[in-house]
Amino acid sequence: MNETTNDPIRCDRALNALEEIIDPEIGLNIVDLGLIYELDFDDANSILKVVMTLTTPHCPMGESITGSVKTVLKNHFPEMEIFLELTFFPPWNLEKISDEGREFINQ
Amino acid sequence: MSITVPQEELVKPTAHRVILPFYIYSALSFLIATSLLFFSSESVTQHFFNPKLLAITHTIALGWGTMMILGASHLLVPVLIQGKLYSTALAYTSFVFAASGIPILAYHFYYFDFGWMTQLGALLINAAVMVYVINLAMSMIKSKKENVHAAFIFTAALWLLITTMLGLLLVCNFVDPLLPQNSTYYLSLHANIGVVGWFLLLIIGVGSRLIPMFLVSKYSNASLLWVIYALINFSLLLFFFLFLYWPFSTWYFIPVAAIFVAIFLFMFYCYQCFKSRIRKKIDEQLKSSLLSVLLMGISILVLITLIAGYTLSHATNTVFALLYGFVVFFGWLTVLIFGMTFKTLPFIIWDKVYQVQSGKGTTPNPKSLFSSRIFTMMVLVYLSGFLMFAIGIFFASNTLLKIASFFLLVSALLYNWNVFKTILHKKIKP
Repeated sequence: MNETTNDPIRCDRALNALEEIIDPEIGLNIVDLGLIYELDFDDANSILKVVMTLTTPHCPMGESITGSVKTVLKNHFPEMEIFLELTFFPPWNLEKISDEGREFINQ
Repeated sequence: MSITVPQEELVKPTAHRVILPFYIYSALSFLIATSLLFFSSESVTQHFFNPKLLAITHTIALGWGTMMILGASHLLVPVLIQGKLYSTALAYTSFVFAASGIPILAYHFYYFDFGWMTQLGALLINAAVMVYVINLAMSMIKSKKENVHAAFIFTAALWLLITTMLGLLLVCNFVDPLLPQNSTYYLSLHANIGVVGWFLLLIIGVGSRLIPMFLVSKYSNASLLWVIYALINFSLLLFFFLFLYWPFSTWYFIPVAAIFVAIFLFMFYCYQCFKSRIRKKIDEQLKSSLLSVLLMGISILVLITLIAGYTLSHATNTVFALLYGFVVFFGWLTVLIFGMTFKTLPFIIWDKVYQVQSGKGTTPNPKSLFSSRIFTMMVLVYLSGFLMFAIGIFFASNTLLKIASFFLLVSALLYNWNVFKTILHKKIKP
């Protein structure tokens, strides 16, 4: 797992949920694609902060993907407010695709 | 340290309602062009400068090729220049001007009328291109991020403007002599600037960005692309100079050789992308796009033969001129558009239909929005028609040309069927 978190158990739950979101062009879920960088659970303020990237800064599917991330996380963590931070540092590259992802692409 | 982008500032892709009219117009133009070809296939065995061929060539080059590229570029410009499209109103204006100018021009060419209506058609097309260039320039100025792909696309747009301006001048020159020679003399200049300056430059610029993206390849080589860019522009400028000041010169081989090297280097670039790809399975749409790269090479070989004949005999060989035009427009461009349509259109429609639904349940794969079976059939029918037609041109066989043009017409019907199936896709509830 490449993502950083302050709560590994809930992070696993969140990542499992985020695996539902598929990048439509590559046909791979955004977790195996390596788009999720960080998941922070701030229980004191009921905030779940997700730091993520896109394959390119002006990805035509960007709005759709980030919208889905917020919806999916809100469905799984209704008690938290979802705060999505989009970053392009470090930029996404093909090395971020997980081994499972590489296998899946070629199935 | 992390550089973050507020969600509100996430650049929205160009709206589907801006892009779809271009796609629809282009698909219908392809159907009209292949219908015209079927009903006037005998015109191919005549001299290449005849009314019907003039109408067919402009329908295919402007209505099919240019409109599709303009539509796709409005979608891809934000990705290429890393900034949003400056104005959707200008994009609509460009569409309206081009969509009204092309049929006026093609209709009057068909009846060999170079009067004021033809000039109006040419003027409208020029206005459309001018508006497109302004929109592109403003988008790039606002984005402030330069890259080789943006240089390709903007320079290509400038060459398109030169091509259409020269076209307008040629149309006017038919009625009132404005140029030192008659209009037919300048046809090869008009055609080659359009083919190389607009289509080749733009396709390499966009293709060099999209091919690695679709192959999921890590290969990138901006220096190589700059070399290709320099070679093509050097070739065009030299060709322009030779045409005006040194016609029938053997020096013509220099610009042709430069283009040949540029295409070879682009093929090398594509091969490197292919070799270092993560996605091993190549879909039919991408195969079609890669086939078009090969056809690009074949068209340049035909051009070399044509130029050789031109410099030796000081006359244009009709068979090779027709073959060159056919391989460029009905081969390279058409096969590329086949692939790229079904690589981009399903995503535009998917985004339009399912964006609000994303994250709320499973959505169909964009690839399921069109029929891949019909796509494969279309390509096979098309390639059979293409080969038969090329042989028909070579042997001036009217029967073969008629049968081949029927195949091309069927492929256009299949293409339109699949395009409209995708566009008319209704939401599948989760």
